[in-house]
Amino acid sequence: MLPTKTAHETNLEFLHQLFASATHDASAAMCRWTDGLITLSLDEVLEIPLEDVCSELNIDDELLTMVVLSLVGEVGGEMILTFDEENGRQLAASLLHRPVNREEQWSALEQSALCETGNILGCAYMNALTRLIDAELVPTPPYFIQDFGASVLEQALITQAATCDKVLICRTAFHREGEELNWRVIFVPTKKMQDLMEQELV
Amino acid sequence: MATVTENATSVGMGQIGSGQGAATFRSVLGSCIGLAFYNPRIKAGTFAHIVLPEAADRPGSKGKFADTAIPEMIRIMQSYGVMPGGIVAKMAGGANMFGHGGPMQIGDMNTKAVKSGLEKAGIKILFEDTGGQKGRRVVFDCRDGEYLVQTVEHTLRTT
Repeated sequence: MLPTKTAHETNLEFLHQLFASATHDASAAMCRWTDGLITLSLDEVLEIPLEDVCSELNIDDELLTMVVLSLVGEVGGEMILTFDEENGRQLAASLLHRPVNREEQWSALEQSALCETGNILGCAYMNALTRLIDAELVPTPPYFIQDFGASVLEQALITQAATCDKVLICRTAFHREGEELNWRVIFVPTKKMQDLMEQELV
Repeated sequence: MATVTENATSVGMGQIGSGQGAATFRSVLGSCIGLAFYNPRIKAGTFAHIVLPEAADRPGSKGKFADTAIPEMIRIMQSYGVMPGGIVAKMAGGANMFGHGGPMQIGDMNTKAVKSGLEKAGIKILFEDTGGQKGRRVVFDCRDGEYLVQTVEHTLRTT
């Protein structure tokens, strides 16, 4: 007898389909923004016990460059775009058509280039999600941050942690000419958004 | 349950670790609080990675909330034979990482809840490094009670 799927597994599959569709739109936007250089694809939709999130995602005390966008309100979430130093610098240089900056401090222009990337990705995701769940999503301006990856992820999880013991995370991979880059988008929807998504899909 | 990585036990969100002598605990904190209890005489300690101020019937482990973590940590110290009067506390974390402002500054709320819980329990805070907008990497060593706090910009150390 074939193993049957639990309702929970089916929900995760539905959510995977939904996020794959949103990621497709985000990839098209990213491709336009980088002159066809960068695309992205949905890696996984995971439900992880709170205490295991950082180890499962392999995010700990590595210093990361991140752009954070919050969708405020009950139907909201946090989107974090992460890069290691080298990849972040390379993206900024390529967008600004300049050589890679080796100064310790990021210039305002470099920060702005990364924030704009976050904005474009965030808006593409948001537009797709708005169409799918028919809810108004209100984003904050993108926020540039350099810190321990786990510290930022922890704060992003707080809203979900207040109501659940497991958290839902959508993880996306980036590619340049078929090669995977050390960039990630992590999206953490609120419980209310998860519920709405599941209602729309079932 | 907390997991051992290299020489230190990694304490994830909502977990509590404890030990005596050669036990070391580590966490990476944002808005959460890393709360350590220690008794220098018997070198026993416990460390919690507290996520939210109060349980209020919400699901989660005892270590997840300030108001459930502190009694559990007191119970653990009592199991080593240490009464609340013999406990010293060290704490770090409670940052507001995203700096958006607004009414829900969870880092500040966590700090207040932990300090209030410690005051009610009559436990003295020997070291505190809380607030700000930066993440912290902390290591707590039961051999000497050292509590090490590192941000991307600086290191603080206390015994």
